[in-house]
Amino acid sequence: MHEIIRLVNRNLTISLNMGFVIWQIIFPLIYIFVAGFAYTALIHQVPFGNKTLDYPAFIATGMIGFNIMNSTLISGIIIWNDRRHGMFEQILVGPFTRAQYILSNVYTIGIIGLVSAAMITAVGYPLFFKQVEFNALTIPLVVFASISGSILFGSIASIISTRLKSSEGFNVVINTVFLFFAFVSTAFYPAQGAPPILSTAFYFNPLTYLVDIVRAGIFGYFNGLVATEMVILGVGAVVLFLVATKLLSKLEL
Amino acid sequence: MYCIEVKSLSKSYGDFVAVDGIDLKVEQGKIFGFLGPNGAGKTTTMKMLTTLIPPNGGEMNILGIDGIKSPLEIRKKIGVVLQQPSYEPTLSVEKSLEKYGMMWNVEKKIRKDRVEELLFAFDLADIRKKKNDDLSIGQRRRVQVAREFMHDMELLFLDEPTVGLDPSARRGLLDYVKGKVKDGLTIFFTTHILEEAEYLCDDIAIINRGKIIAVDTPGELKNKFGREKTIKIHISEQKEISSLLSCIPDCTIEYDSGVVITVRSSQSEQVLQDILKILASNHIPVEDLSVVPTSLEEIFLSVVKNSNA
Repeated sequence: MHEIIRLVNRNLTISLNMGFVIWQIIFPLIYIFVAGFAYTALIHQVPFGNKTLDYPAFIATGMIGFNIMNSTLISGIIIWNDRRHGMFEQILVGPFTRAQYILSNVYTIGIIGLVSAAMITAVGYPLFFKQVEFNALTIPLVVFASISGSILFGSIASIISTRLKSSEGFNVVINTVFLFFAFVSTAFYPAQGAPPILSTAFYFNPLTYLVDIVRAGIFGYFNGLVATEMVILGVGAVVLFLVATKLLSKLEL
Repeated sequence: MYCIEVKSLSKSYGDFVAVDGIDLKVEQGKIFGFLGPNGAGKTTTMKMLTTLIPPNGGEMNILGIDGIKSPLEIRKKIGVVLQQPSYEPTLSVEKSLEKYGMMWNVEKKIRKDRVEELLFAFDLADIRKKKNDDLSIGQRRRVQVAREFMHDMELLFLDEPTVGLDPSARRGLLDYVKGKVKDGLTIFFTTHILEEAEYLCDDIAIINRGKIIAVDTPGELKNKFGREKTIKIHISEQKEISSLLSCIPDCTIEYDSGVVITVRSSQSEQVLQDILKILASNHIPVEDLSVVPTSLEEIFLSVVKNSNA
């Protein structure tokens, strides 16, 4: 078995437990079915490209991106825990290189991101199936968004985990950053109609791009803006991954 | 054949020289003890030898492989128990062993057998289902050491492996290690506990302030640095005898309570005769008398003290 596969196997074993998996489904389900229907009284329909979506369908697709972001926090947590519990050094005195360790985290994030997206797509499907428009781009767009989004958010979590030394600091920073990502984005509400400052702030947030691309895939609406968002998300993922790799490879032992 | 050959190996952090051009040779199938006070450079040396950190200078040949050019090739053939604890908090004891074997690409069937063997060898069978997070420090340390025996290796680095272990677990671990050496394993062992080094090691190096200050077998170290013996005399009544003994050549008085006096000498037989003569001529009855060879601990302290001076 290849070294990276062995490390991915180990990463999945230590980070996935029944509690985490249940939470990863229950948490978005609450948003989709409670907030989604409760807010229908306030936000009945949401304009999206050339069509109008029901709010539950809008939030269900937003939750796919939100869940990818949340689950990729695992990447930061794996590195954090490995450093805290001495496994980072132990792995690096074993038959592995730093590059393999970093790549194994990327693959772990990718797998968790894709599975997470698939789970939410499955549970949210009853809400948006009427408005789904499958075309040649649907699956490639969702897969692209899931993988590049996973790498981008996983890299952010990894960067944070390499810079901080106390677990309190790590938790505070991770929660603050991800809270900003979650709520200053188009995951829960559309940019149109929001105060100009806020709608501009939405586009300083990679979750917005991730969610927009997922929606574009699911609802079959692809235009120049989505293409630009794909470029930004892809480049952002590559740049942040390189930064995370650099920081991780410079980590003192 | 040497498993470890090191020439002029050095490591600095800014102006601080942690390891200062050391030379080492470790023979195959031997247990090599690496001793030194805190901050002497033991762990830095260990980290360089295990290729965790690169040296600033010198040559390093581990198992016939250039340690600077091919670190990964070395890591595939060695086992390392680091000084700091390392564990997966969410895994149970047996799962930890199993997963570690998997990481080393050990076949599933062999993994299963080794897990069982190690659970019993390290007295972990009763806590096999317990999660690492719920273990005591000593139990966790036992898992950490046991885990390293899940995979095959030619050379094992043990950095203070018995820290946190009770005496019986400590002895069990040392005996297990000794057994593995009989099967051909070479061990590089650092410890603060000199009794352990004496019990386990074929050769010993003492490092202080980044330099190797002595290397030899425990017996030879004693011959070289431990010719002095300690003579302990217990007299039945309070007397000022230090002044009486001060005329004996090569007799250093270490302690005098008036009833118990301890002296050190490299000519212990002659000195003992002189002491007994003096005590008899002054009508001082001796209640108890013993001559103790210098322990490795005393040698260690004396070598390090001389090196600091």
